[in-house]
Amino acid sequence: MENANSSEGSSDLKVVHRMTVIKRIIHWTLFLSIINQIITGMYIAYPFLIFGVTPTQADSPVSGVLNSGETYQAFIMTWMREFHFLGAVLIDVSFFGWLYLAFFSTKEPLYKSFLPFGNKINEMYKMLKHYFTLKNKPKTGKYQDPLNAIIFTFFHILLLLQMATGFQMYVASFTGTSAVGAWWPTMMHICTDWTLLVFGGLTGVTLTHLFITWLIIIFIFYHIYIEIWRSILWKEGDILIPFGGYKYSRDNLKEDESD
Amino acid sequence: MRKGNEKDKSAKGKEIKNNDDDSFCSDEHNNSKNDPFCSDEHNNSKNDPFCSDEHNNRIDDTAFKWDPLRNIADDPDEVLNIVDSHLTSLEKEHFNGQKDIDENFDKVFSASSVSRREFIQWTALLTSALMLPTIFAPRVARAANILTRTPFIWLDMSDCMGNTEAFLRTAHPTPAEIILNYVSVDYMESIMVPAGYQAEARRDETIKKYKGKYILVVEGAIPTKMNGKFLTIGAKGKTGLEITKATAKNAGVIIAVGNCASYGGIPAAYPNPTGSVGLSSVTNRQVINIPACPANPVNLVGTLVEYILVGKAPMLDSLGRPLWAYSGRLHDNCYRRGHFEAGEYVKQWGDIGAKKQYCLYMMGCKGPFTWNNCTVVQYNQDMSFPMRAGHGCIGCSEPAFWDRMTPFEKPNLDAKIFIPGIEATADEFGVALFGAAGVGVAAHAIYTGVKRRKNNNQDKNKNKDNKDNNKSKDEDNKTK
Repeated sequence: MENANSSEGSSDLKVVHRMTVIKRIIHWTLFLSIINQIITGMYIAYPFLIFGVTPTQADSPVSGVLNSGETYQAFIMTWMREFHFLGAVLIDVSFFGWLYLAFFSTKEPLYKSFLPFGNKINEMYKMLKHYFTLKNKPKTGKYQDPLNAIIFTFFHILLLLQMATGFQMYVASFTGTSAVGAWWPTMMHICTDWTLLVFGGLTGVTLTHLFITWLIIIFIFYHIYIEIWRSILWKEGDILIPFGGYKYSRDNLKEDESD
Repeated sequence: MRKGNEKDKSAKGKEIKNNDDDSFCSDEHNNSKNDPFCSDEHNNSKNDPFCSDEHNNRIDDTAFKWDPLRNIADDPDEVLNIVDSHLTSLEKEHFNGQKDIDENFDKVFSASSVSRREFIQWTALLTSALMLPTIFAPRVARAANILTRTPFIWLDMSDCMGNTEAFLRTAHPTPAEIILNYVSVDYMESIMVPAGYQAEARRDETIKKYKGKYILVVEGAIPTKMNGKFLTIGAKGKTGLEITKATAKNAGVIIAVGNCASYGGIPAAYPNPTGSVGLSSVTNRQVINIPACPANPVNLVGTLVEYILVGKAPMLDSLGRPLWAYSGRLHDNCYRRGHFEAGEYVKQWGDIGAKKQYCLYMMGCKGPFTWNNCTVVQYNQDMSFPMRAGHGCIGCSEPAFWDRMTPFEKPNLDAKIFIPGIEATADEFGVALFGAAGVGVAAHAIYTGVKRRKNNNQDKNKNKDNKDNNKSKDEDNKTK
């Protein structure tokens, strides 16, 4: 590794503050609610726990068949939907928090990882190259590296699509008014009715919602892998960022800032 | 009145408010100054938006205002007056005196052995379905009476005649179906006596004679490719496209019955070789869509009755369907909804769940995606609807249901997603992508491990070399 070459400068291992408390709260809220959304959403798409005995299904927890007794005691779909909506609200609030911080964070606004755009695209290719050659590690300093920044932005666009398609399905059960007033379904209609045209009706919207879920699962998988990979290869403690907010850096940061 | 309908294309907009913009007053009442509704009293009253010019500019505070009478007046008595005088003028036009009016219905219903009591029950049902107060029940009866004398043109385009069959061939017809049997149809290919040139002459005559007054009902999709030559009708071999355009031009109200006429339906299903489209794509006029396969007679008759009561098209949703009939989602009004919430589903045709009338969600019920009033007014002599019969909804009142709602007997999650070159369900595609990503990640991990070991070995060698060099240098120095 190239780090071994800098053994003479081992003393410049610095502590870098990367995630503020609010960012860490957003990170873990998103994590927990997305896990919740995946489980409850899959249940809503295909109810795998069947309550009530049918001839083809023995009454056993293993096969997912439980005799709930009275109908009112179960209401499992109600609960799944309820938790799905609660998780959706958490994700939406976190998303808009993220969007605000991406521009107005005093600590590390995300747009600084994009601008100037040409340079950052170049840096992104360098990082990609580094993933496959393990050589010439780009400097990771105060800011998010451009490759991660672009992938995270893409992930948040997926979240936005999930919000649009999800609210379109949610507003379907409204008849024009709601407990909090008519503005609520009206707002949802204005914000999300375009999905009906783009994805082909409510069934298309549903399928899109399901498909984007898979893209998000793939993102989570990639994200965890790459952070572990970085922690092992770079030995800079990248995996610690969402827990403590700090990472180490072996790069000469003064040079980085002077860029 | 007619001009209003022509202009009223805003009804296709998403906001329900849009429909209120064209005022009843400007189109109809300004023309006739002797009109009883527009008396001086009303003009002086402040609360009368009906006869004042401000009505057009009036801003609705409430985003959602559902008024089946379309804000014709704020004062209830005034509404009744307006409706009554409107009905009286129509009765004068279509009947020869009070005796004729009274005898008309007796004739109609005695022939079909429907008692007066049954008819009164039906008017009550229709009144409540139209979301009108009970006081409108006798007026609904009057409007239904007028409906039997209103000139009709019923066009059949490319379709299976399913709607005609459903309306006319009922074993025990309800008043809705009887009214449809007795309307004065001037042109309807399936039941008319004239044939060939005579039939077409009859149609042209009606268009001329009742210009701007006749009700046009179109059933079936309209092919547009090859100038519409996929469908030629009659002795002169005119295309369906020509006929609909010519007939729709002078119609009083245009109604598309069934999914094919409304949205193209089955003829327009992918890949749609004939280029079939719904009626609203062919004409510039406002079209009232009564989709479903077949459409419920109550919805057709109810819409026409509302047209006769108020004098213009009912409030429509974003897909051109009357709000009074198509504002409820099947899933929300289904009597099996409790089982859906309880997680009790039919897993297989004929299992215990099916016998206990559990939810058909996992058997592919498309109720959650469909807006119609099947669960309320029901089909087959107002007796049943798909879920009551034990089969899921197929979503036949939604656009492109043949493409979007299939497979009908599997949950929506088993539908193939429309990405060119890929025929898989969303889950299959997602799992495949996830697998590919997993393989990629694993390959990268292995590659990294191997490469790193190699690099480490090289580094060790380099270090060794360095050390050797250093040693040799030291030795050199020492020797020096």
